[in-house]
Amino acid sequence: MTAIMRSPADNRDRLVRSSVAGRIAPPRIFHEALPVDETGRHFHLPASGGIALGVHMGDRAADWVADHLMPGLSIEDEGDNPAHAGALHLLAAIGNVVRDGSGRRIGVVSGKRGGMAPGFWPPQLVSVEVADDVARALTPGDRVVVETVGRGLQWTGFPEIGLSNVSPACLDLLPIRQDGDRLTCPVRAIARPEAAGPGLGQDSWIGDLEIAGDALSAGTLSELRFGDLVAFADIDAGTTRFYRPGWISIGLLSHGPSPAPGHGIGITMLITGPGRLLQVDIGESASLGASLRKAAEAL
Amino acid sequence: MSGASRSGVRSNAGRLVTTRLSAWVQAAAANCIVAPSGAVKTLPGQGGVVTGIDLGDRAGSWIGDHVEPGLSLGHPDPAANRALRALSCAGNPVVMLDGPAAGAKGVVYGKHGAVLAMFAQADLARIAPGERVSIDAEGGGLALDDAPDVVLHSCSPALLHRWLQARDDGGRIVVPVAAILPPVAAAAGIGMPAAMFNMDLHIYAEPVASAAANLRFGDIVAVLDQDHRYSRRFAKGWVAVGVISHGEAGAGGHGHGLMTLLTAPMERVTLQLSSGACLATLLSGAPAS
Repeated sequence: MTAIMRSPADNRDRLVRSSVAGRIAPPRIFHEALPVDETGRHFHLPASGGIALGVHMGDRAADWVADHLMPGLSIEDEGDNPAHAGALHLLAAIGNVVRDGSGRRIGVVSGKRGGMAPGFWPPQLVSVEVADDVARALTPGDRVVVETVGRGLQWTGFPEIGLSNVSPACLDLLPIRQDGDRLTCPVRAIARPEAAGPGLGQDSWIGDLEIAGDALSAGTLSELRFGDLVAFADIDAGTTRFYRPGWISIGLLSHGPSPAPGHGIGITMLITGPGRLLQVDIGESASLGASLRKAAEAL
Repeated sequence: MSGASRSGVRSNAGRLVTTRLSAWVQAAAANCIVAPSGAVKTLPGQGGVVTGIDLGDRAGSWIGDHVEPGLSLGHPDPAANRALRALSCAGNPVVMLDGPAAGAKGVVYGKHGAVLAMFAQADLARIAPGERVSIDAEGGGLALDDAPDVVLHSCSPALLHRWLQARDDGGRIVVPVAAILPPVAAAAGIGMPAAMFNMDLHIYAEPVASAAANLRFGDIVAVLDQDHRYSRRFAKGWVAVGVISHGEAGAGGHGHGLMTLLTAPMERVTLQLSSGACLATLLSGAPAS
């Protein structure tokens, strides 16, 4: 059967664009959850928060010696310190343009991290891919503005398939194929549901879902790169993220692995739906990493 | 020094320190949740004083979100609250220090965000948020003799020696449980420290739903392929055993709360289905209750 290569119709013309202010988050250490590895030894490593200089979308995530590392900037909402997910986190979508306090376009939203515990334990962070020369001129605490657009985005012919954290620009990067009444998305790895870890039970627009174990039915964890598309079998991410046989969720690799037991690479959810409408296959084109890096460099 | 049960499951209980803690009955929460259908609901949530539900009562089908029967206990100083969470263990005695029920005695049965305690219903009827309790915390550091890779969390010696009483012919610890759940039961709480908080269970879809039907508050339940020595993780060949501490939840990815009591490689334990594997039975007649 030949797949027809055309983009399914969407409702992007009706979406609202809203500029939301926030700040570059500092790196933080939380004594509530002192990190230990699987032998019980305590560690501290560079993590999400702050500015990861020289770390980019498209890099192999496991190569860095780090803990839940996000490329580029980690930004967060204004207000509480550390920040709970507010308008910035809840409206930001992959591909949104980010400005600095002077109005200069500095990067694009590239992922999210869900905080220390699902839903209630801050900070909830958004990562921003930025070019190296731009990153070197920035400091935690700096004001940023996200040009948010993406909430409400929907494929008009597929009301049962949910989109989250997807901007129109991101939608155009997704290598989706429509074949009759079904969509197929290539991915670099498929996780079995028992590998779904921190992020279960949390709002699909907050943070990510971690692969907390090596239970993959396809792909190799150590080879995955920031921005790669990864699927979870039998996980519904339409509202919160949870086990639902027959459903599939697809997202983008947004943060790196952790030595802490029960933690792993983070997947910011993009697409979720029933298996009869939404399918995945393994494909080399299944990454937004290089495209997001280029988009940031072109600003 | 060594503590021993009647049948020789021995522990280091004789060396453990008992610490007196203070805590306050926490305010009730009204949780606004989004159900998988997209429906928004506001339901009785965690905290407060929940009356009318006992250990041994069904945990499912209450119209609530993460409901905690009895008292929910916390401390306003974050550091003291962390100690309260870390040191309190199932089976520890709790005493009301003020309010109309001053002097009433209860027992710690679980943890969620707060430490959970059950009292007699007549006492619960008089207790209110803001009142103060003491807890005699004992169980931190508890370990079995001759079983170094069987790890205990949040388990008092009083509970341990009522619950674990035998080894099988192969020397494995016999662990009575009310239910055995598959690894996909593990939900929110993975990756969090196993000695604090709890892990929610995905109980609404098969194959978990059948195995989880009829769970009661206080039931001791095993989840397969879970290693809870440090932070909770999926690990083939391990098992985690805990107590059902809070009720079901309206949002997907949340469900009955399981507070970890024990984790071990499967080859070190024998899981034994038993209707008596419930704190309602194991803690009845305990010194505090």
